[in-house]
Amino acid sequence: MAETAGQLPNRSASEPAARNNLGALVILVLAFAPQITELLTSCAGLIFNFSGRNPLQVLSAHGSALVFAISGLATQSFGGKAALSSDTLLALIYTYPMLAVAVFTLLVRLRAPQDYFGGVVLMAIALFALWASSDLQGMHGFSFGAGTAPRMFGVLLLALGAAVAVTGVFIDGAELATYHWRGPLFVMLAIVAFAVSIRPLGLVVSGLASFLISALGTHETRWVETVIVGVCLTIGCALLFPYVLGLPMPLFPRFLVQ
Amino acid sequence: MADLFHNLALGFGVAVSPTNLLLCLIGALVGTLVGVLPGIGTIATVAMLLPITFGLPPVGALIMLAGIYYGAQYGGSTTSILVNIPGEATSVVTTLDGFQMAKQGRAGPALAIAAIGSFFAGCTATVLIAVLGAPLTKLALAFGPAEYFSLMVLGLIFAVVLAKGSVLKAIAMIVLGLLLSMVGSDIETGASRMAFNIPELADGLGFATVAMGLFGFAEIIRNLDAGGEADRELVQQKVTGLMPTAKDLRDSAPAILRGTVLGSILGILPGGGAVIASFAAYTLEKKIAKNPSRFGRGAIEGVAAPESANNAAAQTSFIPLLTLGIPPNAVMALMVGAMTIHGIVPGPQVMQKQPELVWGMIASMWVGNLMLLIINLPLVGIWVRLLRVPYRLMFPCIVIFCAIGIYSVNNAPVDVILAGVFGLVGYWLIKHDFEPAPLLLGMVLGPLMEENLRRALLISRGDWSVFVTRPLSAVLMAIAAFLLVLAVLPSLRKKRDEVFVESEN
Repeated sequence: MAETAGQLPNRSASEPAARNNLGALVILVLAFAPQITELLTSCAGLIFNFSGRNPLQVLSAHGSALVFAISGLATQSFGGKAALSSDTLLALIYTYPMLAVAVFTLLVRLRAPQDYFGGVVLMAIALFALWASSDLQGMHGFSFGAGTAPRMFGVLLLALGAAVAVTGVFIDGAELATYHWRGPLFVMLAIVAFAVSIRPLGLVVSGLASFLISALGTHETRWVETVIVGVCLTIGCALLFPYVLGLPMPLFPRFLVQ
Repeated sequence: MADLFHNLALGFGVAVSPTNLLLCLIGALVGTLVGVLPGIGTIATVAMLLPITFGLPPVGALIMLAGIYYGAQYGGSTTSILVNIPGEATSVVTTLDGFQMAKQGRAGPALAIAAIGSFFAGCTATVLIAVLGAPLTKLALAFGPAEYFSLMVLGLIFAVVLAKGSVLKAIAMIVLGLLLSMVGSDIETGASRMAFNIPELADGLGFATVAMGLFGFAEIIRNLDAGGEADRELVQQKVTGLMPTAKDLRDSAPAILRGTVLGSILGILPGGGAVIASFAAYTLEKKIAKNPSRFGRGAIEGVAAPESANNAAAQTSFIPLLTLGIPPNAVMALMVGAMTIHGIVPGPQVMQKQPELVWGMIASMWVGNLMLLIINLPLVGIWVRLLRVPYRLMFPCIVIFCAIGIYSVNNAPVDVILAGVFGLVGYWLIKHDFEPAPLLLGMVLGPLMEENLRRALLISRGDWSVFVTRPLSAVLMAIAAFLLVLAVLPSLRKKRDEVFVESEN
């Protein structure tokens, strides 16, 4: 979840009110992030033929869960037998509290945005973990169930995240740091490229390709020297890892070897 | 005492075999290299080289990894003194006086004193490990689950107290690490926890993966942010007159001694480690100096004390790992990983069942320190030239090395992507002033803590008071509580912040 918040926009100095609006908006998106993620995965599932719920089912299930979660909770607490569905629990445990945090963000003046948003994201992680471990067995007499420790740590993190956020409201501190997009984007792209291509294409191709992609991460790159170093490094790695160290690793593209 | 000599003899027998000597040399050299190059830390390197050690025998693998760790302490000081760039976090304070000495043309003595101090500290720490190892192992046998749990709590609290910045944030990071360690299958029931039916998560998050993300990739991304080559004002005047004068030796001898003692103590304590030791040693020297204003203007004590302290701490931090099986810091946590890969469960039983492993490693540390002393000074020129390699060429190499390293741990592409994701997480953490090191420590200790907590409560039949009614456990808990109170007391916090502020200027 934390990486979602890594996209907290890079805002230049402006009056505090405007900052809070944007911050609240980001938290709002964060509140619905699990639902959105599942929706997107199910769309991808349509294309690539995964098993699982289709987008319409996802949409209706989460939609009704979000709308009727409170009434579901009410019926259950008045002796209803039906257990709450996982979607309803997600709404109750994760989304509703995060919505409350988003609203809260609109109302307060932040003294240390860096701490505040850091704390809020920790809270989000904790709430999400509480939901994710809600289907696990709890204490069984005096022996721990599978879910006891995760829930314990989840509650602890929730409290600590809240405490960090609260200090951000009351104690003066640092503004949000600026994020740059170039380095993270290309380094991440290079990593993904390597992961995707190492099996089918082998070390030589994928190593050189991701070397060049990651070199895009800075505008200082001079291409001639980069390509030379890249080729040398690739040759070095192709000798070092499979031969000297004896680690099993495909070297050349599969279609060439066959 | 006879036992001690017998053990050491056994150790040296293992350590001086040609293969192990070679591995020790490689480890020390790689460590120095890593220490010299800024932008790649010890944790990332140890994580990166884990797969390389798969093919080696366990002793050799551990000797090499240990070599990297203490080698890095040497290398870090070289660049701190010559170019004012700490290659490692542990040698940040060395820049204060070391670089000033170099500017005054006394780079040679500074380097020599750093090396001599490190060597002395390394020797002392080696003896200390040998002496303390056996008794602590006996103590470990008196430990039940409740004591283990309390000890780990104490260790984590130590990590918080000694970390820089906000106490609250450090605790939050530890708990986040504990929470992350819960991902995967539950050991006792086998239930899959928070794995979302993703098969790769069923085994939990590998912490070589997480370490590489948080310390390797995140560091690269952050360095790219800074943009522009960090101006490296190379002092490229020839390093002449390596030998320190008699006055230098007289001045630095007590500082080396104090640094060694302080470093050894801080290294043993769980949660301590080399970084904090060097800061503490510098502060101590400044406090007791007759003329504190000399510090920051090329005082040789300001080089001698922290360099001895970080080396001593780097080595004594093996003590809790070897005797109790509890890693006191992130690098040691990776050593646990290395041991587990080779089928060794760290803890008191290792010393009894595989004495040649433990003592071989201990003896190799002394050998390694000797090698470093001999090879380090002549190689200074090469290390400095290496610093001229621009970051724009270095970072793609590190990215590729890390990627191949992670991939080869499990031959799993998903691990590589996970490490990348943790790289972004680490970048975000840095931006919000959270420290990743406590997170990693929490992640390693998480499963151990859960297991011991479960067991303690099962044995006590659900009675939580077991942690304060068993005497050993009660003492540990009391120390932990006391430390926590101290850490949040405003007066001490102020002092603690001062130490760090001072060192960052």
